[in-house]
Amino acid sequence: MKHLRNTLFFALLSVPALLSAQNLQQKIDMNIDGLGNAAISISMTLPAQQWQMWNQNFGNNPSALKRDIERSMPGYFLEDFKLEKNDMERSFTISLAAPGICKVDKKGRWVLESDEKNAQITELAERKFMMVQSPPDLGGVQQTTMISFPQQASDIKLDKDAFGKTVFRFEMDGPSSASGILLWVGLALLVAGLSWLFFVLFR
Amino acid sequence: MKKWLPPSILLAVGAIVTGMALFPAGGGDLEVEIKKAPYIMPAVHNVYADPSALNGKYYLFKARIKNTSDRTLENVRVRYRVPGYIEWTELSVIGRMFPGQSGVVACYPKFNDDITKKTTESLEKVEISIDWDGAGKSDTVEEEFSFKMMNRNEFAYSNIPGSEISGYADLYDNNDLIPCFVTPSDPVVKYYTQIVQEKVMKGEAASITQKPEDAARFMLSLYEATLLSHMVYSGTKGIPVSADDVSSLVQTLRLPREVITGNTGLCIELSCFYASVMSAAGIDPIIFLIPGHAYPGFKMQGQYYAIEATGINGEGLGGISSAEEAFQKGQKQLQEFVQMAQQGHPGYSIVDVHALNQRGVRSMALGDDTFLKQKVDKIAENFGELRTNGNERLLAAGSGNGGGGNSGGGNNSGNDGGSVASGRRTSGPLSFTVPSGWSMRQRPFPQMPVYTLLVESPDQMANAAVYDVPANSVDEAMGYLQQLFAQYGSQLQYQLNGNQLQGVTYSNAGSWVWSGVAGRGPAGIRIVAAGAGDYALQQYTPQLSSIISSIR
Repeated sequence: MKHLRNTLFFALLSVPALLSAQNLQQKIDMNIDGLGNAAISISMTLPAQQWQMWNQNFGNNPSALKRDIERSMPGYFLEDFKLEKNDMERSFTISLAAPGICKVDKKGRWVLESDEKNAQITELAERKFMMVQSPPDLGGVQQTTMISFPQQASDIKLDKDAFGKTVFRFEMDGPSSASGILLWVGLALLVAGLSWLFFVLFR
Repeated sequence: MKKWLPPSILLAVGAIVTGMALFPAGGGDLEVEIKKAPYIMPAVHNVYADPSALNGKYYLFKARIKNTSDRTLENVRVRYRVPGYIEWTELSVIGRMFPGQSGVVACYPKFNDDITKKTTESLEKVEISIDWDGAGKSDTVEEEFSFKMMNRNEFAYSNIPGSEISGYADLYDNNDLIPCFVTPSDPVVKYYTQIVQEKVMKGEAASITQKPEDAARFMLSLYEATLLSHMVYSGTKGIPVSADDVSSLVQTLRLPREVITGNTGLCIELSCFYASVMSAAGIDPIIFLIPGHAYPGFKMQGQYYAIEATGINGEGLGGISSAEEAFQKGQKQLQEFVQMAQQGHPGYSIVDVHALNQRGVRSMALGDDTFLKQKVDKIAENFGELRTNGNERLLAAGSGNGGGGNSGGGNNSGNDGGSVASGRRTSGPLSFTVPSGWSMRQRPFPQMPVYTLLVESPDQMANAAVYDVPANSVDEAMGYLQQLFAQYGSQLQYQLNGNQLQGVTYSNAGSWVWSGVAGRGPAGIRIVAAGAGDYALQQYTPQLSSIISSIR
């Protein structure tokens, strides 16, 4: 989630001040999977003038869009970019994947950074959170971010990191590994072997 | 065959399998992908060290690590070193990596301050080592790559690979790093600033009074100081350099201390020198960048001022400008700058030094140097000329506020006088004076024909607007505007007192507080309103009052 805010308004910075006062909203869905990767989708509907500008700069040049998003989120390896436009409704949706956006700290807890100090976060459900921002430096666009944690996640808590920035900390079991399966197979063989041995020796 | 043999074999296999599960070999498999910086500029060392500077854009490398083995790795440690600069340093510890899990690690290296003594370019190496609990020597992942380390004076204008350059802005993508060459904390610059304040300006208090005329006097006096020391304009090396797939113009910039003691500078070097001295004196410096040129200035009370620092030229070049001429030229260039920037020309940009400092772009660390200070002393001997005739020359900068001495010339009443206003006026009925540095746009929104003129501050946080509404009364005109604004999601509230208006416009962007004057206009009723966002109102109150009071 780090630097996401700065990523998403690049296309709106040059719009005239008056139009930026309109009721612009941007919706961001961030779905975390069981390995701490995020699938992100950003959608927005624009007024006519901004739609023209956005298309001129990015809509008709998705590679420029991809490059700008990558450059504004330098701390991540982003992939699987996809842009869907709806010219009739003047709306677009950008989807991308951010692998490794969450990581496990030294104490074994998963961490997701918000990169915001005192971020205004509302818990909507056990594993769903909402963050609403209207950065004044970006024309007052209202940004609503929905963060969904996977089913395996539990004990999700808001905390602060060493720099006072809001972070999510949570528990999550990893996928069952081969060594776990191996353990159960080994134990099963031991039990079966012992039972058979007892049966042979003491019947 | 003995009957107990088959179950015993089964038992043994079970024990082996269980043992393998409980006591696995250390082996794991990590896939590592690395992205690296094409070069490192020593002058930018404080930015590289700060992960939050410019959103973390300037890293040495970043690595994506993926556990491609079928077992969970505990405490995956990523370490790196730059031989000769940084010893083995732990970059990150990922507590646990499950099979298939990825982790991303970015490296923001902390070079020692003495990196700013580097005066030659070299090819350096980064070594990366990744291991985890139980990993054997053969399991440890080791990677390395080389990068170009520039010398302390070199500045690369872009880090973007040639294949991705799509326009002018990409060629100058590193402009935000220019404040690294603005060094107000350099002991030599501080020393020079103090001498200029004492010997040339005979005292100044621009940072305390926050009056633009005082800051302008400071800037002009600094120009005078460069003239008195016979500083000259001269070029430095600027060549295209390639590193990996990145090609950039790399310019050798003399540091402000070198400009002072070498008594010479190029436009961008003089700009960094002015910015350093003004910053050291508590003034908010700005560097204006235009295609092929740069000039310094400052920002105060929401307005911008500029000077053409290269007006010093030199005896060999001729055409030496006086401080007043250099200031007038700078102000003229500033007007052109604002117009071009408003039109969206990417070649016209500002370097707001203090704003970028706040975003983590900190100046390079430079130590004290007695030899250079002695050179400053030598240069300062020229400032003695002022004692006989300099006062008058310097005070000419204060827009005729004769005799003010070091008091800041405090008899400028209002903000509309002196050098604060640009001298431009709008035309027609209810015309007003345009503040210095503000831009004017006729018919800013063609889809809104009643919107005749927009006069706007450079940062767009304040403006004055002229509306010509086909109406017979002010109330009717305001009703029309209320409906119009509603279409754009804004709610306009106002109070009318005679022909004076006061109001607030609410929108999703916040509240826009304004006051205005209404009168007869070419289309019926003309309304002139000047306002700012509530968050910027205090900052812009002098300019807005100046606009309203100048309406005629």
